[in-house]
Amino acid sequence: MSRYLYDGTVEGLLSVAARMLAESSEPEQATLDERQNTLFEDGVFIETDAAAAEMFFSRLRQEAPDAAHTFYFFILAEKEGMETSLLRYLILALRHGNKVNGNLADAAVRDIITVARKAQRELHRFKGILRFEKLRDGAYLAKMEPDHNILQPLAGYFSSRLRAEDWFIYDVRRRTAARWHSGTLRLGTIEQFTAPALSEDELRIQALWQTFFRTIAIPDRKNFRLQKSNMPMKYWRYLTEKQEL
Amino acid sequence: METFDKLQILSGAARYDASCASSGSRRDGSAYGTGNTSRSGICHSWSDDGRCISLLKILLSNDCIYDCAYCVNRVTNPVPRASFSAREVVDLTMEFYRRNYIEGLFLSSAVMQSPDQTMERMVSVAQLLRNEERFGGYIHLKIIPGSSSELVSRAGLFADRISVNIELPSSESLKRLAPQKGKQAILEPMSLIGKEIRNSIVERKVSRRAPRFAPAGQSTQMIVGASPESDFQILKLSQGLYRKMNLKRVYYSAFVPVNEDNRLPVLASPPLLREHRLYQADWLMRFYGFSAEEILSDDVPNLEESFDPKTAWALRHPEFFPVEINRADYAALLRVPGIGLTSARRIVAARRFSIITPESLKKIGVVMKRAKYFITCSGRTFEKIDRQQALLKSRFLLGDGGDTAVKKPPKQLILSGLFS
Ligand code: SF4
Repeated sequence: MSRYLYDGTVEGLLSVAARMLAESSEPEQATLDERQNTLFEDGVFIETDAAAAEMFFSRLRQEAPDAAHTFYFFILAEKEGMETSLLRYLILALRHGNKVNGNLADAAVRDIITVARKAQRELHRFKGILRFEKLRDGAYLAKMEPDHNILQPLAGYFSSRLRAEDWFIYDVRRRTAARWHSGTLRLGTIEQFTAPALSEDELRIQALWQTFFRTIAIPDRKNFRLQKSNMPMKYWRYLTEKQEL
Repeated sequence: METFDKLQILSGAARYDASCASSGSRRDGSAYGTGNTSRSGICHSWSDDGRCISLLKILLSNDCIYDCAYCVNRVTNPVPRASFSAREVVDLTMEFYRRNYIEGLFLSSAVMQSPDQTMERMVSVAQLLRNEERFGGYIHLKIIPGSSSELVSRAGLFADRISVNIELPSSESLKRLAPQKGKQAILEPMSLIGKEIRNSIVERKVSRRAPRFAPAGQSTQMIVGASPESDFQILKLSQGLYRKMNLKRVYYSAFVPVNEDNRLPVLASPPLLREHRLYQADWLMRFYGFSAEEILSDDVPNLEESFDPKTAWALRHPEFFPVEINRADYAALLRVPGIGLTSARRIVAARRFSIITPESLKKIGVVMKRAKYFITCSGRTFEKIDRQQALLKSRFLLGDGGDTAVKKPPKQLILSGLFS
C-alpha cells in the first residue's frame, strides 16, 4: 500500500495521477490525502507539476471526454476527502476510456459520478431558477447562492442565451461574479457588493410575473409538497415569484 | 382593460392545457438577438399545484364565437372576456424572457371573429417576436381549426412547435360536441404540417439555409371521457397519429364537466385514473416498442384499473419470462416490469465490464419488488415464478408487487383542453 500526499489543488491531484500513470502503479494499492503538515503524517508528498497535470488532463479529454466532463463537475462540487476515489477514477478512465462511466459496480466510479451528477443537476436547475432584475442603467443582475461552484458553466450558458443584454451573475456566498458586456464574458471576485438601484418598470414586471405565477396554478389542486420537492425552499430567497412586493 | 386583468383572465383560461413541454428544439438564435432553445427543456418554476412552469402560457383571447359543449369559453357561457393585442403579448414575452422567468411562449386562442382573423393575429405575434425582437426562444402556436393553409404554413416558419387539437377521439363525437369544428378542419392542417415538416427536413439536408418548419414537431390533444370511445380505439388513433402523421406527442386530458349540457355524460369525478393509464400505454408505444394491438384487443378494449399496462401485459404473457439479466437483449429487458429505460441501458452498459450480480441490480436502479417475479440473474431465480396467474395477480394487488396496485387515484396531470 502506498500513501500519497498532495497540496490540495486540482493541479496537485492531477500531478499525482500523472505520476502513477508514468510508474504504472496500481490505483487499488494507493491512497491520497491532502497534506496537513502535521508531525505524524506519513506518506509520500508529490510536488505539484503544472505541466504534467496539464498533459494528463488533455490526455483525459482526448481519450475519455465523458470522464473529463465528470471530473470537471466533480471539481465544481468542491467536495473534500474523496481524493482516493478520484485518483482511482482518473486512472480507470485512461485505461477504459469513456466506458468507465458505465462501470457502476465499482464503488469509486459510482461515488465520483454521484457527486458530479449533483453538481450537474444543480447547474441544470439554475438554468431555470436564476432570476434577473433590470437595473436603472439597463443592465440585468442575478444573485444566487448555489451549493456547488457553478458560476462558470452557468455564465457560459447565459452568454449564448441573453446575448443582446448586459448582465451580471453574482454568487453571494463565494463573492464571485460573472459579467457579460458587449459580447465578452469576464469572471472575477467582488469584495464589496452594494445593491444597485432597479429600473423604473422593474417592480411592475415582477408583479405581472407574480400574477401569472398565481393564476396558472389550478386552484383546487394545490400541492405545496410537490412544489417544494421540485423547488426546495433554500432556493426561494432569490425567486421573484416568492417575494413580497 | 389593464394588462394585469387581461393576464389574469387569459392565463387562467390557459391553465388547463396539457402540453407544457419546451424540449425537442435547438435554435441557436441570431448573433445579436435574445434567446435560444435547449434540447432537454427547462423548468423555470413550479406553481402551487406542483406543476412545472416553462412557458408563458396564455390565450390571445377567450372571446369565442363557437359553442363547444365541453368548454368554459363557449359563446353561451357568461364569463369575463378579454383579448390581447399582438404587441402586448410580444412585450410580456420579451420582458419575462430577459429575466429568465420562461423558456418562451405558448399561445392559443378562442375563435374571435373568424378562424383566419384569429390565426392571423397569432401568427403576427410570432412574426414580431422573430423578426423585430430577434427572439430565439421557444414558441408554440396552436392552430385554430379551419384557418387557411397559408396561415398554417406561416405559423410553422416562426414557431418551434405547432399543434392542432384533435379534441375528441372520433368524428361522430366531434359532430355532436363541437359542431362548428369539422373533422376536415382539424385533419387538413395536421397533414399539411406533417408534410411541411418532412419537406423542410429534406431541404435542410441539401442546404442548411433552407427554412426550418416547426423543428420541435407537432403534437395534439384529446379529451377522454366526454364521449363513448374505448381505450383501444383511442390508442389505435394515437398510434396512427404517431406513425402516419409523424406526431411527436399526443396529450390526453380527462374530461372535467364545466357546463350543464345533456350531450355530455354525468361523471362523479373526472376519469383521472383512466387518463393516467392512457399516458402509461402511450409511453409504452413511444419508447418501449409496444403496439396498440399488444396492449389491448377487441376482447379487452379497456386498460385495467388495477395494473399499469406493462404489468398487465407481463401477466398475460408468462411464456415470455423469466428474462435472463446477463443475456437478454435491450428490447427484452424493457418488457420486464420494474426495469425502465435507464436501468435497461445501464444493465447493457455494465455487462461489458462484468457479470451482473443480484446485489448490483438494485444499485442500477431496478425495482426488485416488481422485477423479481420476471427475471433470473445468471440462472438464479429470486422468487419462484408462479405460473398461476391468479396468485401472482393477487400478490401485486396486495402491494407486494410495488406501486402498480393503485391505492390512491393519481393526481390529474392536466385538465381538459377547454379551448382550441
Ligand atoms: S373549445 Fe375553443 S372553439 Fe370551442 S368554445 Fe372553447 S374556445 Fe371556442
